[in-house]
Amino acid sequence: MDAAAVLKSVESSGLAGWIRDSLYAFPLIESFHVIGLAMVFGTIAIVDPRLLGLASAHRPFTKVAEVLKWTWVAFGLTITTGLLMFITNATVYFQNVHFRWKMVLIALSGLNMLVFELTCGRNVQRWDKDRAAPMAGKLAAVLSLIMWISVIFFGRWIGFTITGTAAPPPDVEINLDDLFK
Amino acid sequence: MNDFAQWLATTDISLAIQTRSWVIPTVQSIHIVCIGIVLASVFMIDLRIFGLAGRDQTLKQTTRRFSPWLWGSLVVLLVTGALMVVGEPVRELMSFSFWLKMSLLVLGILIAVVFQLALKRNERDWEHAIVNRWTTKSLAVLTLLVWCSIIVLGRLIAYDHVWGSWSLKPVI
Repeated sequence: MDAAAVLKSVESSGLAGWIRDSLYAFPLIESFHVIGLAMVFGTIAIVDPRLLGLASAHRPFTKVAEVLKWTWVAFGLTITTGLLMFITNATVYFQNVHFRWKMVLIALSGLNMLVFELTCGRNVQRWDKDRAAPMAGKLAAVLSLIMWISVIFFGRWIGFTITGTAAPPPDVEINLDDLFK
Repeated sequence: MNDFAQWLATTDISLAIQTRSWVIPTVQSIHIVCIGIVLASVFMIDLRIFGLAGRDQTLKQTTRRFSPWLWGSLVVLLVTGALMVVGEPVRELMSFSFWLKMSLLVLGILIAVVFQLALKRNERDWEHAIVNRWTTKSLAVLTLLVWCSIIVLGRLIAYDHVWGSWSLKPVI
């Protein structure tokens, strides 16, 4: 099966159809995507300034970096909700240039983290209590911040550059006031 | 409100934003970056209250570490938020999500101010006694829920039809 066929088949799955047809599913999934990515970026924005010596400089790096376990939890939420949105319109997202850049940047952020762990992170006990990390660590921090902020920008641009997305116009008359009658 | 929104949409500054298609996505992206900092700051203070993180720090030290980031980001959020209102007045001001979000925002800010003042006034009691009270912990959870709801409502401005007849959108 080629890529186009795979994309078509996820689009036609029951789950994708259910999200497309629901009035509430897509907006709520997107909202939780924002909560997840806010937490991913927000926690990274605690650790990277520590590497640069700009915040929490008096605390050992390893103590500050404990927050990264929450980054992973939030990343799980973000990936899950992101996938759910993707399957509703897989072909269009896949062809969107901003979507592609976003995926590339997330992959590069992962690579950046891996390189950091294998270099600077290896001898963390040597600089753990220093005000800032060695140059390699500072570089990783700057790259990480730039890439994650770019991921947010590209993500927002996806919403402005695709047409025919999931959110269906309300074709049924909803009257929430009836709930209390 | 509809009249005001319609008028705002005809002002020069609003037209300047409307005619430049990159402005709204850029402002929204900056808004999201700052949301991340606010949410993580509230979360870190909450974790400290529950003793789940930063136990090598006092509550005062934790709050002092995160409150400048929290308030700084909130200022940027207010500015970028205002730009979005000016750029798309009808979309924002005529949505139920927006007004519910603003109400919760007032609550969120109020909790933050009262918490910081209370902490300052009674530092020693906070560190060992008040922090362990169940009311403090419930308030911490409530605060996180308030900020998460603010985020959800912010996104729902784009989908105000989920509120059905509660939406203030003029029927076209």
